[in-house]
Amino acid sequence: MIDRVTLVGVIVSALLLVIVFELVRRRRLTEEYSFVWILAAFAMLGLSFSRPLLNGAARWLGIYYPPAILLLVLVPLVFAALLYFSVVVSRQREQIERLVEEVSILGAELRDLQRRTSDQRGEPS
Amino acid sequence: MGVDDLLVLIPAHNEAASLPAVIAEVRALVPGADILIVDDGSTDGTFRLVERLGVRVLRIHERIGVGGAMRTGLRYAGRLGYRRVARVDGDGQHPPAEIDALVAPLNSGIADVCFGSRFADARVGLVRRALALCLSALTGRQVTDPTSGFCAFGPRAIDLLSDHHPTGYGEAELLLFLSRNGLRAAEVPVAFRPRIAGQTTLTPLRKTTAIARIMLAMLIVPLRSGVEGHAS
Repeated sequence: MIDRVTLVGVIVSALLLVIVFELVRRRRLTEEYSFVWILAAFAMLGLSFSRPLLNGAARWLGIYYPPAILLLVLVPLVFAALLYFSVVVSRQREQIERLVEEVSILGAELRDLQRRTSDQRGEPS
Repeated sequence: MGVDDLLVLIPAHNEAASLPAVIAEVRALVPGADILIVDDGSTDGTFRLVERLGVRVLRIHERIGVGGAMRTGLRYAGRLGYRRVARVDGDGQHPPAEIDALVAPLNSGIADVCFGSRFADARVGLVRRALALCLSALTGRQVTDPTSGFCAFGPRAIDLLSDHHPTGYGEAELLLFLSRNGLRAAEVPVAFRPRIAGQTTLTPLRKTTAIARIMLAMLIVPLRSGVEGHAS
């Protein structure tokens, strides 16, 4: 028997999977960062289908409403994903800073070089 | 360029109004020194102005903060072969007349970095004094001014900081980092002056963030491993 919660769960996970694949296909999302989302979509799909597992886990944890387990699993996953992205953002910020620093040094070296060559041309040979 | 040639490094963000006076003062009071401006993403024509004055300038197109500006300036100074670098802020608060006093402990070999301390200044508030006590305990040296940006760097410091100068408003972080990596720091008393023109970039919110950051740094920096080849 497929109840509504299961149906909605399946539709949402399938939708997520399709969106992630489409983003990767259009190169809007790199493969590196897509794995997190593909794994999350499959986990959601699996959980939506396995009502007996859900019910068993809910009984074991003492949760009266089994689908609440989905949230219990989802919240830490979302937090882990956010933390991971903060790490990525920090790393990229550091990389960007180092790049603009290096660009500024190259610009100064280029101006030094141009000044030197124009000085040389200015001198009578 | 001799071994002891000094570079005066002036990090500046939108300081076009005060830079000409600062540059003129450095030229008059420290005639032997070369000057390098690090223009940290200014939008007020600082870069063109400094070029017109015939001073060497690094132009950082995106604003990255004074720590990043110092890291860039020190790296460039290192590549040009300078073994003494003094930092003077572009707002005119740091008295160039005191640069000689800052560099003296480097020349006599007792320190790798020397800070100008405003300890005698009544404007240094309770928070800063409390931070100074904590930093003294953590670095094992008497720190009287935890947020002074007026300082001079010797060759070991230039070498280390050209890759690792803390970013953001990192003066206190710099103290901790130097101590963690076994560099010797010293202090000389200096009286600062009010800024010549323009606006400070330190809003109350930024100040609070900076203090929170310093407290975090006091917890974390001593726990980090030292930089390869520099650790004590």
